[in-house]
Amino acid sequence: MSFALTPAHAQRLEHLRSRYETPRSLILPLLWMAQTQEGYLSPEALAFVAHETQLCVADVTSVASFYTMFALSPQGHHTIEVCGTLSCHLNGASQLIEALQKTLGITLGQTTADGAFTLKKVECMGACHEAPVVVIDGVYHARQNVQSLTTLLEETRS
Amino acid sequence: MSHDLVVSARFGIANSHTLIVAQAHGAYTQLSTLLAQPPQSLVQTVIDSGLRGKGGGGAPTGAKWQLLEGQAKPRYLVVNADESEPGTFKDRHIIEHDPHLLIEGILLSCHALEAKAAYIYMRGEYRFWHDRLQSALDEAYGAGILGAHSCDITLHRGAGAYICGEKSALLESLEGYRGQPRLKPHRPEPEWLWGRATIVNNVETIASIPYILYKGAQAYRAMGTKESAGTLLFGLSGHVNRPGVYELPFGMPLLEVIETYGGGIRDGRALKAVIPGGASTPVLTAEQAKNATLSYEGMKLAGSALGTGGMIIMDESTSMVDALDNLLAFYRHESCGQCTPCREGTHWASSIVHDIARRQPRSDALPTLKNIARTINGQTICVFGPAVADVINGFLRNFPQEFA
Amino acid sequence: MSNVTLRIDEHTLTAPKGSLLIQVMLDNGLSIPHFCYHEALEADGNCRMCMVEIEGQKRPQIACNTPIKEGMIVRTTTPSIMQTKRAILELELRNHPVDCPICDQAGECSLQEYYMEVGLYDAHVAKSDKIHKAKHVDLGSHVVLDQERCVLCQRCVRFVHDKAKSADLVVTGRGATSVISAVGAFTGNGYAMNVVDLCPVGALTSSDFRFAQRVWFLQSDASICHGCARGCNIHLDHHAIKGGIDTLYRLRPRKNSAVNGHFMCDTGRISYKSLNENRLLEPHVEGHATSFSHTFSLLRRTLDDKSQTIVALVSPHWSLENLASVKLFCARFEIPLFGAHEASIEPSFADEWLRVADRAPNRAGLELLGIDVSPHARDRALSRAQVVLDFGHDATLSSMSTRYYFGTHPHSDAQMQLPVAAYSEESGHLINCDNIVQHYSGSVKRSEPLLSLHALLGLLVMEGAWATQPFWHATLIDMAPSLEGRL
Repeated sequence: MSFALTPAHAQRLEHLRSRYETPRSLILPLLWMAQTQEGYLSPEALAFVAHETQLCVADVTSVASFYTMFALSPQGHHTIEVCGTLSCHLNGASQLIEALQKTLGITLGQTTADGAFTLKKVECMGACHEAPVVVIDGVYHARQNVQSLTTLLEETRS
Repeated sequence: MSHDLVVSARFGIANSHTLIVAQAHGAYTQLSTLLAQPPQSLVQTVIDSGLRGKGGGGAPTGAKWQLLEGQAKPRYLVVNADESEPGTFKDRHIIEHDPHLLIEGILLSCHALEAKAAYIYMRGEYRFWHDRLQSALDEAYGAGILGAHSCDITLHRGAGAYICGEKSALLESLEGYRGQPRLKPHRPEPEWLWGRATIVNNVETIASIPYILYKGAQAYRAMGTKESAGTLLFGLSGHVNRPGVYELPFGMPLLEVIETYGGGIRDGRALKAVIPGGASTPVLTAEQAKNATLSYEGMKLAGSALGTGGMIIMDESTSMVDALDNLLAFYRHESCGQCTPCREGTHWASSIVHDIARRQPRSDALPTLKNIARTINGQTICVFGPAVADVINGFLRNFPQEFA
Repeated sequence: MSNVTLRIDEHTLTAPKGSLLIQVMLDNGLSIPHFCYHEALEADGNCRMCMVEIEGQKRPQIACNTPIKEGMIVRTTTPSIMQTKRAILELELRNHPVDCPICDQAGECSLQEYYMEVGLYDAHVAKSDKIHKAKHVDLGSHVVLDQERCVLCQRCVRFVHDKAKSADLVVTGRGATSVISAVGAFTGNGYAMNVVDLCPVGALTSSDFRFAQRVWFLQSDASICHGCARGCNIHLDHHAIKGGIDTLYRLRPRKNSAVNGHFMCDTGRISYKSLNENRLLEPHVEGHATSFSHTFSLLRRTLDDKSQTIVALVSPHWSLENLASVKLFCARFEIPLFGAHEASIEPSFADEWLRVADRAPNRAGLELLGIDVSPHARDRALSRAQVVLDFGHDATLSSMSTRYYFGTHPHSDAQMQLPVAAYSEESGHLINCDNIVQHYSGSVKRSEPLLSLHALLGLLVMEGAWATQPFWHATLIDMAPSLEGRL
């Protein structure tokens, strides 16, 4: 399977080329486009990015592996991220994680057997005033508790 | 206390993020007048204002800008929107409520710096704020505020790395490398993006520029203290009743801010500790917090640092061992791994404190922890290492009984 | 550039202004523990091991990122800087297994060396605190990685990016779980195995050499790679197990800034195998091993038989001494001698760094000694030759010719074969592609003693002096006066 950008992304890429002095700077924008399209960075996508940036795949993989938001393996349909850093921790993040692990029957970093959810504990999301914060598919949900989270999970599933 | 709002004046206005509303409330009104002025006069106003970088370091902005003097063109401005310091969530409010203030600040700054283009490096988690800022940029391009006759502004999205808030790591990341800090130069010089002289400023710093240039250096200086001029978006989180961001002049008593703005400690409990300016500033005891004021000099006097102004409040129920364990897990996760003392020291310190938290420490846990803190302090490539040392030392020094 | 004077502990040194402090110390033989710094690579400053105290500076500084200045005062042995170095070394060693006795790097390991140097300490690391990583990762190109032994100094990664220009060895992951990885097969553009030399610890080893021999048993000769006309300077590492044959275990690059820097290509590095294996060790006549005296008498008879048309061919693989001896030998018997050229040209071997298309190490020498290299004259002579004295050339001969072969390896199509020493077993001079005259010497001993070509020819003509260096020194300058002062 080969990888190709959607027309919108391809257009965006052309627009961005003139903005950077080197094609190498397109790595992060391209990785984002690829991950948005496929849910993770497939070997084909990495090869595509390497080609577009005139780098070798090892180099692109090295960069991608530095940034924790890039997934180098397939993820669940939905990603649940619970912030565990201090302000969220002080406001009950651990209880949320415990409840989620129980409800979903998985531990941190795992994906449910049906492929619906991947559960992650993440570091400070910059939402300390909305602690504890849970991010589902990139959307921030403020001041969560076990009850609100259960509802949220149901909404996400359906 | 009445004072001007430098960056949050339009926060309360409905749809303030749209161009039309922002313009109706003063955005871009003096832009063309100011862009007609000689760049050096704008730099001078910023120097005179006493503006200090609002990303945590507090370095004088004007002096930083002067590093570009005599440097070849093209030059670049990079705006640091990688806000990732635990306890800090201020820049996102500017982007959410007043992205045009930031854009105007960038246009003015680029003119002052004679920069060809600007890049905004935003943390990857801020997807909503990324989209909001991109919409604002698109609007500004559409309205001709940005475009043919101005510098280009490009929004660049990070992807989950705290260290990219360090300016040289940010530039490495922008260049397409792993976000690892560069070796520090031996004398003051600008930063370098693709080998071009570059200035890196925090979002709030750049968002402060329109106020300073519109109202003059003296108006800004009139607020705050002599050494800490102006205002800052302070953040309150943790065990407070009303967590949030509040733009306040420098120099207010810390406890007053917790009471007045934060609504006091949750559940009527007593204050135990405050991390005053983001996770990397040393923790203060309630006693130390009593006389502390929120300025660069005031926080230094109290035994900590002002940092980003993002305060994490902890009440009497908090275990300090647990809190340090939590913070070290953060630093372990975020150490870039480039230099040995930080890579190994942070991981090791985290394991030791985790053992203490599980009540299974080795007999030499504390002396080893102190040794690690000493070794990573000042002997690493960037300030991440010393920050970890400060965090460890702050907890051990101020709450020794809990680690005994 | 102007020089500056500085003090390092009790030493007063002078060096060019702006030189890196660490390089000045290394150049002057002063001890300075370091992992990430290597003079062939740009300073990276990641290991933080080369800490020194500099008067006037609040904190210790890394010597690899400190340009020297006039009057600088540097201290490397105060109790506080020793404590700093000990503490950093402890962090370097945190995940490192303490198993030197079974490590291949033992004896040439910086960790081991510095551990002794900065002082021992009690182990503070709980075993459970160590991060466990992969012990045996085959990266490709004979390079094996032990991630637990790695101190992440990135010499290998920087070499691959900056020198080999292949970027197929990288760091993946972040923080304490960072590892060196090859995504796909590691080729290093044909220079992969240099990372084994660069690795200051036992993390990168050569699967070709790994556990073959303890380094302290090895005898090392200063030689020149014969794989192409670059003439990379090398160490020949060899060892004879008691009563066994002397065996080459590896070739390693030997620093020469004018030729190969610190490096050599993988093809050259692996080329030692042919020096151990499948060698021609005894004279052969018509495919059967025989004695030197028998072979010599047959050969002399041919040389004295003026009815036969004899032509000699010599390859550009020999040293100047050997080429000169062939020339003298042929002159004495009035045998037309031709040098062979085109066979060793292999355009696909060339790259933009060290490798050149000419796979022979001494073409320039052949030409300098005035040996006829014109293909036309040679082909005309060969077409009439009844006997061809073939000095290692291996040309295809017409069916009417008989080949008398002088070489290091058996020849399948030769009436007579005379074994001579390979370059690992003798000394000599070569002229490389940049016209640089280089000396090599090898002391590998075969169980059947082999003579250098020039000494063998000396025996044939009963000239004892042909076995001596001074004779060739004078003869070479006589043949090519431009060699004066270059040998």
